[in-house]
Amino acid sequence: MKARLSEERQSLLGALVVIALLPFIFGMIPLRGLATLLPGAWWPALGLNGDDVIALQTAVVNFRPFTEWPTWRFLWYGLAMTAGVSLISIVLSLPLATLCALGRLSPRAWLRLPTVAGIESIRAFPVLILIFYVFTQFSRLAEGLNQPFLRSNNITLSVIVALTLYTTVVNAETIRAGILSLDKGQTEAARSLGLTYAQALWLVILPQTFRRVLPPLIAQFVTLVKDTSLGAIVGLLELYHRGQILYQFNRNPMETLFVIAVIYFGVNYALGQAAQGIERRVTGSRRASRA
Amino acid sequence: MNPESWDLLLRVGLLTTVRLSFLSILISLAFGTLVGILRVAPVTWLRVLAAGYVEFFRNLPLLIVLAFIFYGLPKSGVTFPTFESGVIGMSVYTAAFVAEVVRAGLQSISHGQIEAGRALGLSYLQLLRLVLLPQVFRIIVPPLGTVFIALVKNTSVASAIVVEEMMYQAEVIAGRYFFPNVFLITGLLYLVITIPLAGAVNLAEQRLRVGRRRGR
Repeated sequence: MKARLSEERQSLLGALVVIALLPFIFGMIPLRGLATLLPGAWWPALGLNGDDVIALQTAVVNFRPFTEWPTWRFLWYGLAMTAGVSLISIVLSLPLATLCALGRLSPRAWLRLPTVAGIESIRAFPVLILIFYVFTQFSRLAEGLNQPFLRSNNITLSVIVALTLYTTVVNAETIRAGILSLDKGQTEAARSLGLTYAQALWLVILPQTFRRVLPPLIAQFVTLVKDTSLGAIVGLLELYHRGQILYQFNRNPMETLFVIAVIYFGVNYALGQAAQGIERRVTGSRRASRA
Repeated sequence: MNPESWDLLLRVGLLTTVRLSFLSILISLAFGTLVGILRVAPVTWLRVLAAGYVEFFRNLPLLIVLAFIFYGLPKSGVTFPTFESGVIGMSVYTAAFVAEVVRAGLQSISHGQIEAGRALGLSYLQLLRLVLLPQVFRIIVPPLGTVFIALVKNTSVASAIVVEEMMYQAEVIAGRYFFPNVFLITGLLYLVITIPLAGAVNLAEQRLRVGRRRGR
């Protein structure tokens, strides 16, 4: 346990070192420029000249937007959009994924075969293409229905639909594996107690399944938060797209992308830690109940 | 779909996607293995750096990695055409996932083997090359296959930094002929790469398993 904790700290420390190195590797903070802060008498020995002063000033100008409050407010709305779209998608996907998993496990072929075909074909698609396809079809549909709500929110809604579809098929596989990992005796015991199939599922099978698959579901949520950035390509105003708008305005792509990368890292790292904490609690409580 | 569209999609797009995937698989395999080995290296700061690399890139969207490379490399004095930027971005991103798989494989090998190797007088590098890595690559073929199939699907994101692969061509065709169903066709065309790749992974897994049995 102790060794594992220190390993977690190692990866956080390492990630912070990588983050700290990036501005120097990509020349966002010029080392020679920083050296011009030294007394002028040392400049000839270090080979510094006026260009290095300009480089330092450019670096200061490029980072200046991030000392101002409106920049952060602008990005905050993007983060809220990212969080909103991914939360809605994961929440919608869970009941759908459970239904798909049950459909795939069903003994009836007319239910099982279409589910398998649907899951496998959607899983084969790259997420970006799914987003594009749903976006084009959805916009057409919204245009045809002439519904003001659908028309004005077609980008957000179609990204949500596409990500929900994709997350549903991935989670369906996870949940199916969770159901299969349960002991068959559980179902048999529940049925012999006189529960119907639906009751056995709802009261016995699914609660245990969800406790087991919670960590992979949270891992999928991290993937989902990352995939939301693909919405930027169809114009969803989430964190990355707002970053694009910012750097086109301020002309500092590297600095803005760096800040956005750090935000994404922070959010996803926190989610990953949450997944590990839950995993530890779930396995711990299961062990405790067994003892 | 007229012949010109098929030509764009298949001869230009599919070919670029295949080249992009193939090069990225090779580079990320080599680089990811290196990072994975460093994650269990006996030197602490190397371990910390490798762990940090994996943690950082696993938590970033691929789109940001690609954009960073696309804007960043020219600034630090290296100018690459977009295709090479795409290869570097895909490789850097996927290497983090490969490293995790390699590390898990290395840690799954029993400690007694390392001790036995050291007792025979092998140096650390010899131990890795002769004892650990041959076993690790046998174990990790299936999870590596999953990572690489995800890589092939992820190459579609490279269209955002104007790599002229399949997704990029699909956007061109959809725009030029107002034909959104091209995305459906393109999505299915990725199967042309992923199905043979999955087959190759299965074949490799079977052959390696037979080899192990014979060895015993």
